[in-house]
Amino acid sequence: MSERFEQGVAALRRQMDARIVSYFSSCVHCGLCAEACLFYTETGDPKYTPIHKLEPMRKLWRQEYTFWGRLGVKLGLADPLTEQDLADWESLVYDSCTLCGRCSMVCPVGNDIAYMIRKEREGMVAAGYAPDGMKEATRRALEIGSPMGVTLKTLQATLKGVERNTGLTIPVDVQGAEYMTLFSSMEVVNFPEYIESIARIFAAAGVSWTISSEAFEATNSGIQIGDSKAAGELVGRVVSAAEKLGVQYVISPECGHAFTAIRWEGANLIGRPLPFKVIHILELLEQLKEAGRLKLEGQTDIRLTFHDPCQIVRRGGVVEQPRQLLREVAPGFVEMRDHGVMNWCCGGGGGVSANERADPLRLQAFQRKKKQLDELGVETMVTACANCRIILEEGIEHYGMDVQVTGLTELLAEHLAGSAKS
Amino acid sequence: MGKKSPEDGGRRRRMMFRAFALMLAAVLLLPLMPYAVAYVGGITNPNPGADLWRQVRQREAPPEVRTQVQGVDTGVLINARGESWREFRMEQLIPWSGWFLGGMLVAIALFYLLRGRIRIDNGRSGILVQRFTVNQRMAHWFMAVVFTILGLTGLVLLYGRFVLIPLLGPEGFSVTAAACKEIHNLFGPIFPLAVLLILFYFARGNGFHWVDFKWLAKGGGLLGGHASAGHFNMGQKLWFWGTLLFGLSLVASGFVLVFPNFGQGRLIMEWAHFSHGIAAVLFIGGAFAHSYIGTLGMEGALEAMTNGYVDANWAKEHHDLWYAQMEAEGKVGVVPERGLSESSGGPETAGG
Amino acid sequence: MFLDFVEGPLWYVAAAVFLVGVAWRLAAIARAGLKDDLSVPRTPGTTGAVATVFRRFLPHREFMRPAAFQMVAGYAFHIGLFVLVLFAAPHVEFIEQRILGFGWTPAPHWVFLLAANFAFAGLLLLWLRRMLDPVLRRISTPDDHIGTGLTFVVMFTGCMALFESHDFLRALHMLFVDLLLIYFPFSRLMHAFTFIFSRGFTGATMARKGVSA
Repeated sequence: MSERFEQGVAALRRQMDARIVSYFSSCVHCGLCAEACLFYTETGDPKYTPIHKLEPMRKLWRQEYTFWGRLGVKLGLADPLTEQDLADWESLVYDSCTLCGRCSMVCPVGNDIAYMIRKEREGMVAAGYAPDGMKEATRRALEIGSPMGVTLKTLQATLKGVERNTGLTIPVDVQGAEYMTLFSSMEVVNFPEYIESIARIFAAAGVSWTISSEAFEATNSGIQIGDSKAAGELVGRVVSAAEKLGVQYVISPECGHAFTAIRWEGANLIGRPLPFKVIHILELLEQLKEAGRLKLEGQTDIRLTFHDPCQIVRRGGVVEQPRQLLREVAPGFVEMRDHGVMNWCCGGGGGVSANERADPLRLQAFQRKKKQLDELGVETMVTACANCRIILEEGIEHYGMDVQVTGLTELLAEHLAGSAKS
Repeated sequence: MGKKSPEDGGRRRRMMFRAFALMLAAVLLLPLMPYAVAYVGGITNPNPGADLWRQVRQREAPPEVRTQVQGVDTGVLINARGESWREFRMEQLIPWSGWFLGGMLVAIALFYLLRGRIRIDNGRSGILVQRFTVNQRMAHWFMAVVFTILGLTGLVLLYGRFVLIPLLGPEGFSVTAAACKEIHNLFGPIFPLAVLLILFYFARGNGFHWVDFKWLAKGGGLLGGHASAGHFNMGQKLWFWGTLLFGLSLVASGFVLVFPNFGQGRLIMEWAHFSHGIAAVLFIGGAFAHSYIGTLGMEGALEAMTNGYVDANWAKEHHDLWYAQMEAEGKVGVVPERGLSESSGGPETAGG
Repeated sequence: MFLDFVEGPLWYVAAAVFLVGVAWRLAAIARAGLKDDLSVPRTPGTTGAVATVFRRFLPHREFMRPAAFQMVAGYAFHIGLFVLVLFAAPHVEFIEQRILGFGWTPAPHWVFLLAANFAFAGLLLLWLRRMLDPVLRRISTPDDHIGTGLTFVVMFTGCMALFESHDFLRALHMLFVDLLLIYFPFSRLMHAFTFIFSRGFTGATMARKGVSA
């Protein structure tokens, strides 16, 4: 076995905590997780059964934690984990899983299968078995500061455009501001309307905020590829910048995994509690609305629905806020039948969107979202994650559907009281 | 007493003799008096016990018979029908059904020897069509397992004494029979569930159409030639409806037999026993044929019920109308378990 | 002789292996350890853990339909088995005499039979599905089939001994019970105990995130 493989096994072994051991012990192979996973339901291929994606890790658990496994190893009768297993499972672990966690919601014995896949990826990455697209994204994130290669210059150019359009000054490196916000590269490059929207909302609500020129990237490729070291490095940059500016809050933008990275894994990655509070933009907006600082006017009566970004809603706990905000400006809001924490993934999270090899599978899996939309018959879908947005738009185009996708913050900014656009 | 003459002593002796003779005559003739009375017109009673025994052996309900113990059949002291039932079971049911089942096995063996395994004439094409869903297969095998358990234990209950005692001895048979009785009675109530599942998952497609009668006329192509059929051919349809009818009979009679505490009298129990036995034996005979044709008898048949798919050529030869419909719906060659496959026409790709 | 063996020495061995084995497996989970979660929780993890242990007995509303078969057959089997193991008269007697020293009122005979019917039907349907459904065929291991098969044989021999008239049948049942107890800690049957941990851990994490799972 190669040294790379040994490193992979060592990394995988390090992930075996009490949760993982209890999960493998409890799994009775009931197959219900398959029914929750859009990669299975839209293909009918049993290899996409979520727990099946964990076969390499299960093999390691079996040969190190079970009687029959250990006996088998001693007698040379075992079916041990091999490098070929890692190679064979790479596409299952990375192309057909977005870490959306819907499987974790339905397992009768309570296994958090998405957590298990997150841990398994640590071993895969250490052994070198990860999609090239994702490896490149992580490399760019570590070297340049953004998985899409967005530099400070790119951001500054975008901010200039925002300042021109809004007539506001974007605060950068303001010492002692209350909130420091991050952006995902996707927003900077594809949806700068988001930056415009928060600039205008914060100005209207009188929020003291800033951006750090040293760390503005929200996306964490380390989380997606399963490299805790890289993930910790990326979070560390944000923490340093926030400490330097002495902010109280760090705002996580409309990006799913960014929220998971900083809010739920951040402290654990750097090994100490975060010296600030993390708040999601939707949480902040809802707070501002409740406090009367965010004044909205006018409503749109278009019939629209909301796509729940998995990492923000199901895995992030920001469930009610988007709905409360949406109802303020859109009385025509209808929920998908499976909504909230049980909504279906767009199919592009967890690094899948950075993985070109996964495109055909992702587009086939999109049929689930298509079915959800067809059932409602809406022409507008609102969401709160830039990655979801681009994936949804791609899927809609692929199937020739007539649906518009809009960002929630953008929609709210359009209804800002006293603004010319409302 | 004074001195009497010798003639007086003689006269007294003659008087005493005459009195004694009269008394003797009276004593002897007295019992004949009732006859004399009857002759004149009184009681007739040739055998007073006959009535009693007639009533003891009868089965009529009160007010002919009254008992202190209230209950079903408590007025029956001796069940005269019991003997005739026993004779029926021992002399007719058991031997005739034994001949029938044995005959079925022999007939099937002969059919195999003469006709051989029905092959797919054009060989396997390698293209698959889904024939039965997971739920259908589950319903089928659930029925198969429950039926086999009940059938085997039931056969032990029917034939065990004759077949097994020579093999196991009386004590060994006692254990076996006790075990079989318990298994049979416990699995019995599960059988209606199996029948319901079969009804639910196989009703669609089992209606009779003209093409099925033509199939029957051609002997189903069993002895050569081609007979058109849809999803299910006449043989399968008869088996489906037979399952329902036999099943219903077995369930109804089974419940009567296993729960005898609901006021059934011996008569109802006998009828239940009778129909249970007949239905069971006919059903088992059919099961022999069904199992044969689904396994050894026909190439390409078993896989329909194990993994749900059949070869396209098999479908064309045996269920051509159904195959045509599948083709029209684009369902030929679609095998999700094998990865993202192309549908209809070319061989499916073996997915990663 | 046979009965004395399976209710005597073999029973003691089986019970010991079962108790020690289960404790060992549970200790292994604890020994694997878990790092503290340093992120700020929205609601306490401990209450979430307990809540999820109970909540997972039923699927989410949106998932009722896909889970329907497993739920109905699964509960028919589990509840049926639970009732007949703990409340059948011969079992209560055994528990009283050989295990706890005290017993309780057993269920009437017809309840025993009804529970057994449900248990058999559920187990058979689930086992058949495991052999026929493509997903289950892909993920099932020999352990799944052995565990199911052994449980089935225990139930089957128990049914055979229902008349309680032959020592041989009782001993046969007891033999398989002993074998099942020995097999238990080394198999997936451990889920009977570990599910509390797996549900608890996930429930704690999700509760900290503010999601009722």
